[in-house]
Amino acid sequence: MTTASETSQRKAQGTTPVVSYSGVIKRFGAVTVLTGVSMEVRKGEVVCLIGPSGSGKSTLLRCTNGLERIDGGEILLDGQLLPSDGKGLRLMRRRMGMVFQNFELFPHKTALENVVVGPVTVLGISRDEAVERATALLAKVGLSDRAGNYPSQLSGGQQQRVAIARALAMEPEVMLFDEPTSALDPETVGEVLAVMKRLAEEGMTMLVVTHEMAFARRVSDWVVVMDKGAIIEQGPPQQIYDAPQVARTKEFLSHLGWAG
Amino acid sequence: MTFDWLVVWNNIGALLDGVKVTIFLAVATMAIAVPGGILLAVMRISGIRVLSAIATAFTELFRNVPLILVIYMAYYELPVMSGLSASPLVTGLIALSLNVSAYNGETFRAGIASIRKSQSEAAYALGMSPWQAFRIVVLPQAIKRVLPVLASTWISLFKDTSLVSVISVGELSYAATRVRAQTFRVLEVLTAMAAIYWVLGYPQAKLVDWINHRWGRAE
Repeated sequence: MTTASETSQRKAQGTTPVVSYSGVIKRFGAVTVLTGVSMEVRKGEVVCLIGPSGSGKSTLLRCTNGLERIDGGEILLDGQLLPSDGKGLRLMRRRMGMVFQNFELFPHKTALENVVVGPVTVLGISRDEAVERATALLAKVGLSDRAGNYPSQLSGGQQQRVAIARALAMEPEVMLFDEPTSALDPETVGEVLAVMKRLAEEGMTMLVVTHEMAFARRVSDWVVVMDKGAIIEQGPPQQIYDAPQVARTKEFLSHLGWAG
Repeated sequence: MTFDWLVVWNNIGALLDGVKVTIFLAVATMAIAVPGGILLAVMRISGIRVLSAIATAFTELFRNVPLILVIYMAYYELPVMSGLSASPLVTGLIALSLNVSAYNGETFRAGIASIRKSQSEAAYALGMSPWQAFRIVVLPQAIKRVLPVLASTWISLFKDTSLVSVISVGELSYAATRVRAQTFRVLEVLTAMAAIYWVLGYPQAKLVDWINHRWGRAE
């Protein structure tokens, strides 16, 4: 799947991957949705997971922070095994930020409180410090003037940017994005992708499940193509988009109207 | 037929004392039955079989036995079984609290179940414990969502407090019954009693309508 020459192009060569998956298996009842997935996310990398619906991309992402429990294989964060539950898992989760397709902001809290709540309740930092941090993060995602608004008073794009700020407030080592723009109106997709692009440029390690091929092509360092619960191809975006090695990748991209 | 409305006026002090007790009973019962209902709901969804079974048994018992029977049982059986004797007021408060807690438990359980799982997942993703996710994310949303139902329960409770008159708790119905017995002016006293309940209840019902309008809509 991955040749030596492709591997040599990857970032953070020779260091421990931030996230590493080996032989990850996940079943829902009788259906095996991940059939032994092995891959790595390296420090500072933006890895995009693409593939048809039902290929297991989102499931793999949700396994990464233990929202789904794996049935086989292992997931390591900075070389440490991800526990299946309990306090150990919670300690790992706070090192990973997650952004959901449907934002999942807390509707009874203002934008600012959504960003404040994690650091205060989970990290135990003082409220003043958390408010200061949240204010800076809302400014970073361009929503300083919306701090006092409730999620229902914000557009989808604004809600998703608050959700990104909420995840960043935990100062995570890696950000997980689960189809962050799929639920958005077309006109607000751009503002969310712009925030993600800036994060990438700042060196944030990111794992992104996405159908935004232009984003994956331009911003990612590494693209992983999944189909039917397995990785069928992975490589730098130039390879995947300009010269895919696997027929199924080509087919998937052409279905999306990707012409290179 | 002649009416003697002066009877009501001459006994207004006794009736107003009854009103005070009625309001106290309703407020105190709700003050117990809201936390009580949350506790029952938490026990039922805890996943701990013993707790869940206790809460289910409690709920199904007190929801399906007539309230007046619970009041009699609390009055006659509780002292025998527990060896403690309580005043009629406290006994009535206990009986009402058992009944309303059972209802509130089901209300809160439905409210908690209506909050989608992904909200808890968002809390877990931040590193919250199940208890933190429940307390900080799920419960506040659930309470807001069931507020209209709690308000309806309150209205029922306010009127149901009249049932504790059977064990001589001096609330409005009991006070009115005594005035009636002393004066034999049945129609006047019953009418006055209805008027007082209505005057107290109508603004509350309007308030409930307002709460329904304000919070009853979907998120």
